[in-house]
Amino acid sequence: MHETTLDKVVASQSIVLVGNPNVGKSVLFGKLTGRYVTVSNYPGTTVDVSRGSGWFMGQQHQIIDTPGILSLYPKSEDEKVTRDLLIEERPQIILQVADAKNLNRTLLLTLELALLKIPMVLALNISDEARERGIEIETELLSKILGIPVIETVGITGEGMSDLRRAIPKAQVPTVTVNLLSEIKQAIESLTLLLPPHPAKEFIAETFLYGDSSITIPLSHFLGNSLLSCLKQCSDRSQMVRKRFLRPISLLTLDSRHQKAGEIRAQVTQLTGQIHSSWIQKIGKWAMQPWPGYLFVALALFFMYEFVGVFGAQYLVGLMEEGLFNKILNPAVTKIVEISIPIKFIQEMIIGPYGLFTMAITYALALIFPIVTCFFLFFGFLEDSGYLPRLAIMLDRIFRIMGLNGKAVLPMILGLGCDTMATLTTRVLDTKKEKIIVCLLLTLSVPCSAQLGAMLGMVAGLSWKVFAIWLGIVIGSMILVGWGASKLLPGIRSPFLMEIPPIRKPQFYNLFKKVRARLIWYVREAVPMFMLGTFILFVSDKIGLLRIIKKLGNPIVVNFLGLPEKATESFIIGFLRRDYGAAGFFMLAQNGLMNAAQITVALVVITLFMPCIAQFFVTIKERGLKTTLLIAAFVLSFSLGIGGLVNWIFKAGWIQL
Amino acid sequence: MTTEKKYPLPTSEQENIEEALGVLWHQSELMENRLEVILPLLEETVNKEIYKTLISKELLKEENNKILLTEKGENLAKDITRRHRLAERLLSDVLALSSQAIDPNACKLEHIISTEVAESICTLLGHPTQCPHGSLIPKGDCCEKATETIEPIITSLDKCTPGSKGKIAYLILQNHPDLHKLLSLGLIPGTPFNLHQTFPTYVIEAGETTLALEKEIAEKIFVRQ
Repeated sequence: MHETTLDKVVASQSIVLVGNPNVGKSVLFGKLTGRYVTVSNYPGTTVDVSRGSGWFMGQQHQIIDTPGILSLYPKSEDEKVTRDLLIEERPQIILQVADAKNLNRTLLLTLELALLKIPMVLALNISDEARERGIEIETELLSKILGIPVIETVGITGEGMSDLRRAIPKAQVPTVTVNLLSEIKQAIESLTLLLPPHPAKEFIAETFLYGDSSITIPLSHFLGNSLLSCLKQCSDRSQMVRKRFLRPISLLTLDSRHQKAGEIRAQVTQLTGQIHSSWIQKIGKWAMQPWPGYLFVALALFFMYEFVGVFGAQYLVGLMEEGLFNKILNPAVTKIVEISIPIKFIQEMIIGPYGLFTMAITYALALIFPIVTCFFLFFGFLEDSGYLPRLAIMLDRIFRIMGLNGKAVLPMILGLGCDTMATLTTRVLDTKKEKIIVCLLLTLSVPCSAQLGAMLGMVAGLSWKVFAIWLGIVIGSMILVGWGASKLLPGIRSPFLMEIPPIRKPQFYNLFKKVRARLIWYVREAVPMFMLGTFILFVSDKIGLLRIIKKLGNPIVVNFLGLPEKATESFIIGFLRRDYGAAGFFMLAQNGLMNAAQITVALVVITLFMPCIAQFFVTIKERGLKTTLLIAAFVLSFSLGIGGLVNWIFKAGWIQL
Repeated sequence: MTTEKKYPLPTSEQENIEEALGVLWHQSELMENRLEVILPLLEETVNKEIYKTLISKELLKEENNKILLTEKGENLAKDITRRHRLAERLLSDVLALSSQAIDPNACKLEHIISTEVAESICTLLGHPTQCPHGSLIPKGDCCEKATETIEPIITSLDKCTPGSKGKIAYLILQNHPDLHKLLSLGLIPGTPFNLHQTFPTYVIEAGETTLALEKEIAEKIFVRQ
């Protein structure tokens, strides 16, 4: 072999990881680059491209992780991301990552990728699960048939990784071909004549033939705009050709490829034994059935309350705040600042009532940090175990009322972690209508973990009625608003269709890395905002602006909502970060400045209140300025309106706490 | 070799009669039997003489300006409607013709399908009750028997009970993106499946893939048990 020459060709080039959803592309990406990207047992976790670099055979390569795709002929936005990247950047190597136990689907994609004429390597990942199910694959034979290196790997444990590293520089353009129907072959050929020179001409012609002209955009990036007319011509011509076929052409070619994939699979696989149904898979089955599935949902909620609300928000926060900050850190820092900085103004800026340390850092690290850590641990556990898709099944019926389907469960639950992150994952939804509804509901009724934790802390020790009223109002509003939006917005609801991954034992190491990555992200995101918010409060206080705002806010905050005047501050910083606002209320409640009725009103309003700045910007990015402003305006008036109503009900004495 | 065909194709007069009876059956479904409406309709869809022909063959009678099918006529009309609508189902479900292509082809097929073939198609399709346009398919003998004795050979997944096993027969092609997704996920004709549950959503295991789907999609998946 000419390994040395190949090495040179591959130098400083890019490798793209491509594969079906939930086959472990991100795990392999992490192993190859040492960079961590979110990994979970949930199809569609990666919605965007991640880039890193890795060394093979003494050369540095750019490595790119992509959202999972079922086909190279995209049906959804995230599939388009991957296709466009492959066309636009035309990487030197494609590393196809596959679920070894699902060879049919894998090969279907391989046969499509082969059309790109890019050197490929196939990694049969999760091969341990395949072996467990008695599926044995003759990799050498498969490699011969496809004309590319084939390696068995287990991403999580690192099995087969060194073989994979050695195989990557030996990537080859696949030699395997599929016999399409002759009419289709002719049609594709006639279209390729119109196209500018490109190695993947046939693939481009086929895409046009299916009536998908969106490929023009990445192509023109790759080829330059001068060839746009060429592409336009080809696209127009394909419309004519398409009319000649009675059945959709894409289905006819899919049929041919399926057949080929089936043939290859039959050649290379052997079923060695019986499939063992382990107890873990039994739990997986139970979790989807009404009984005991709904019990599982209730248990999950209960454990979340116990772990995040009680252990995190009360026990850990108590330790951090009372023990560490109030007793040790704050007095110490106060001493140091008082001694080292003689200027009163700066002293107050750091350690005053609106001090950067005494307020911002204390809130961020003592109040919120323990809570989000617990939430991310809990959420990560659910994610990695594969429970979330099962939860999607259980909640599908409720989501239907809101014009959504079970798929929306992921963004909504992730929203309990961070609404900003969750807004990004709305891309996994099928229709624009669903995306808008989820963005709206995330803004309105899904509190983020930090906020939730602070709020659970406020509820603790009060009557269960407070919790019940709050939960009832929030869920009621969510369903009502979702239902209303689904009726008002144009478009249709798409039916639920989701692949359910097997239940897996969460790997402690992966869980730990994931939580760490999310916490770092959180601290980077939150602490500067906390600082900024505190600084704004501090300056406003000094120049007297705070008093004016409080006065202006009085009719609403004090009269309409019946909250103490100081609550206005929490609303202001709530605009910057929801959890910061919630933390403000938490402190008010802890210091005994609010009674049970006021706490209930505060909880309801802060939950339904505006999105934080980060979420606001992400929503603009995903849904556009106009939609975002409409959402914000609606949410603001709705939250205050409901808060006022609750206050009025308490005042009228209809409900006693 | 004789030039005479052993099984002649229906003559055009026969075809016209059947065509006219199909129209009359549909009108009777719509509760329409007024002479002034039916007569022009027949003349337009078939020809001018057909009314007289039907009367002379005792398939039709007229009473007080109302047109009524005789017993013989009704049986024949019911039969032709059944054949037409079954043909439509066959063309759309199994042969997956586009919706424009279904009607003209069904119109030709209905005349050459014999009662036995109609029964086989009906059984193959699992005794469907509606045509692709939503009109009722008149029941045949095979349907009456089926409800008592045999399970239909092909049914839509939403009619299966939890725990049933079989093979995927075909998918109905109305919603393309979903269909494509199902196929790319490995739900191809011939794949063995195992239906896990039907509530809160359908869960189906096909090959190494477990899929959750709603009734709307399950209705479009036809399986052989």
